[in-house]
Amino acid sequence: MTALAIFLCIAAQLFLVSGQILFKHAMNEAEPKPLAAKVRLLLVGVASQAVWFFLWLGLLQKWELSRIFPFEGLNPLLLVMCAWLILKETLTVESWVGIALITAGLTLVAQ
Amino acid sequence: MSDVAQLASTVRRPGVLAWFVNPYVQIINGALLDTCGEILLKKGAIASPTAQGWLSVVGLTPLASAWTWIGIVSYVLSLVSWLHVLRSVPLSVAFPLINVVHVFVPVGASIFLHEHVSGKRWLGICLIVLGVFAIIKPLVKAEEKL
Repeated sequence: MTALAIFLCIAAQLFLVSGQILFKHAMNEAEPKPLAAKVRLLLVGVASQAVWFFLWLGLLQKWELSRIFPFEGLNPLLLVMCAWLILKETLTVESWVGIALITAGLTLVAQ
Repeated sequence: MSDVAQLASTVRRPGVLAWFVNPYVQIINGALLDTCGEILLKKGAIASPTAQGWLSVVGLTPLASAWTWIGIVSYVLSLVSWLHVLRSVPLSVAFPLINVVHVFVPVGASIFLHEHVSGKRWLGICLIVLGVFAIIKPLVKAEEKL
């Protein structure tokens, strides 16, 4: 795969994960917030997932499905990395093993 | 009782369709719908000409294909199924199971799109699935906090 295609696959997953987190916060009953704030979160979430969708369609036009679909495996990896980078959670050994395996797998798929 | 009324009462009787709303059946159903969605989106993507230049980064032209729209419906149904699953099954159980899509999609792509999935690609997919399994516990924790 080209460097641009790999970059776009990763970017698409970032937009997908951001959308998921935004939706979760918009819908979370445990953290009450004014309607305007909910709507704003939802709209940014929808926009984020729309970017993912059109990047994904663009990738599908050029690459085999069985080659780019494995990049969905980045979804859990990115969530764990977000918790590490944003929430300063410490990463357990099993997290690092998982991150290494997913990265190694994607390297093989992208070749 | 007319046939229609009889059919309606059969459908409404609890138990007859209960197996279908079983969350574990829905995990498989959701994975199949997701797989169909991806294959249909791919069909829509290749049924339409690619834009020139930088616009080719985003796939807008596939919206002109009916395949794409059926794919979107299938994908949305898979999301509905997933939300239903998460109402009764914890993420730590449901997430490893939904990862069968990593097997379903390449198998579907080779059957319906005639893609050749090489041994190297399968090995990569196996590593990814193993990695996802390894990451489940931290993932569930991250999901709760993010």
